[in-house]
Amino acid sequence: MPNQTLLVRSLVELADNLVDDFDVVDVLSLLSDRCVHALGLTAAGVMLASPSGALQVIASSSDSMRTLELFQLQSDEGPCLEAYRTGEQVVNLDLAAEGSRWPRFAPRAAAEGFRSAHSFPMQLRRRTLGTLNLLRSEPGALGEADIVAAQALADIATIAIIQHQIVIDAQVLNNQLSAALNSRVVIEQAKGKVSQATGTDMDQAFRRLRNHARNHNLRLADLASRVAEGTLSPGSLDHLQPGN
Amino acid sequence: MASDRLLRILGLLGGRDGSGAARLCEVAAEVTGMSGAGVMLLADGRPQASVCTTDEVSSLIEEAQYTLGEGPCVDAHRLGEAVSEPDLAAAGGSRWAAFSRRACGGGARAVFGYPIRIGTVRLGALNLYRDRAGLLEDEEHANALVMADVAARAVLAAQAGAPPGALGINIEEDLYLWGAVHQAAGMVSVQLDIPVADALVRLRARAFVTDRLVSEVARDVVERRLHFDAGE
Repeated sequence: MPNQTLLVRSLVELADNLVDDFDVVDVLSLLSDRCVHALGLTAAGVMLASPSGALQVIASSSDSMRTLELFQLQSDEGPCLEAYRTGEQVVNLDLAAEGSRWPRFAPRAAAEGFRSAHSFPMQLRRRTLGTLNLLRSEPGALGEADIVAAQALADIATIAIIQHQIVIDAQVLNNQLSAALNSRVVIEQAKGKVSQATGTDMDQAFRRLRNHARNHNLRLADLASRVAEGTLSPGSLDHLQPGN
Repeated sequence: MASDRLLRILGLLGGRDGSGAARLCEVAAEVTGMSGAGVMLLADGRPQASVCTTDEVSSLIEEAQYTLGEGPCVDAHRLGEAVSEPDLAAAGGSRWAAFSRRACGGGARAVFGYPIRIGTVRLGALNLYRDRAGLLEDEEHANALVMADVAARAVLAAQAGAPPGALGINIEEDLYLWGAVHQAAGMVSVQLDIPVADALVRLRARAFVTDRLVSEVARDVVERRLHFDAGE
């Protein structure tokens, strides 16, 4: 059975950390530490898939956990990789009995003092983002309640990661939008300067800017910004040829 | 429940003609029981552009906020939460004296701003107004929150397809940048031989002392009815 008080406190603490501006590694490190305490484990860690699909170790509650997770990646076998590839829970694996399933990982984990391994997929709908990995040095299986609790913690972390990615994408797009709007403003300012300096209307001022940009192989926005900032005199732009 | 509301709103958006931006504003006004609506983009606490408005009053509300730098959308954007002014004409006045006078004069009686954002990323605000006093009902308020969320995703989805340095096509359709203000700033900067930013300050000062919107003063400059002289 999970320690209910610790579990509830861990869930509240995780939710508290998912404020607007959180750090994914911090939250996943917190998740690992709290899993260890609430579920009576020895070590816990989180692996996430990179955009190319390769798993990476993101957080570990201890150095030996980190070493073992890296070892799984190198030897290309182990409970984490299996949970990631199948999208299914890999729980209550007795490391002493799984020598044929994981010929390299099982003896290595046993040598580090671990007796059982458990990995939970971090999934949104059918997509697996990574795994929550738990190790225990005492014998004995995780109960049904422990398994439910561990998957719930993994699900919270999944939502946090997805939300974080959406915000990062939104920030990039919003910056692009803002920059594009600023270029528009600067082009209007440059039109005003050319129009005043040359005694022409806005349409002609715009054609003159565009014509000069083409003649000199400049981006219109860059030319406009030089005119607006005053590093290029509005009267010095190329004259329009008849028909332009 | 929340997803039922979203589905109903997406259904309304899909089931009518017009540009994406125009439909967004029309549906926003409809599901919130408002006289009109608009979507404004803001950056660094200031209005940057109008994506759409349903009518002249909502355009005026955005223009007043653009030129005065105050109002429900500016506050909603800055605070990151919904802002309501259910009675612009109430005794004691509202928190935005200059804006309220303009908005009332144009025919608005109650104004509301809802932040358009995703997480910490603030894109702008949904501008709502009604020609009579009163708050939004709970149902209307819930719809306004969903509309603001839909607007955020629509703006970003439109921008996601744009080449670098350009605007998304669906944003561009009805975009209004108050271009005349920037053209006038460029003209005044040549007239007075000062930087464009200073010229904009001069335009705003002129608007203030003559009790007009800077966009109105700018139109006079662009149409060459008003010229700034260095001696002034």
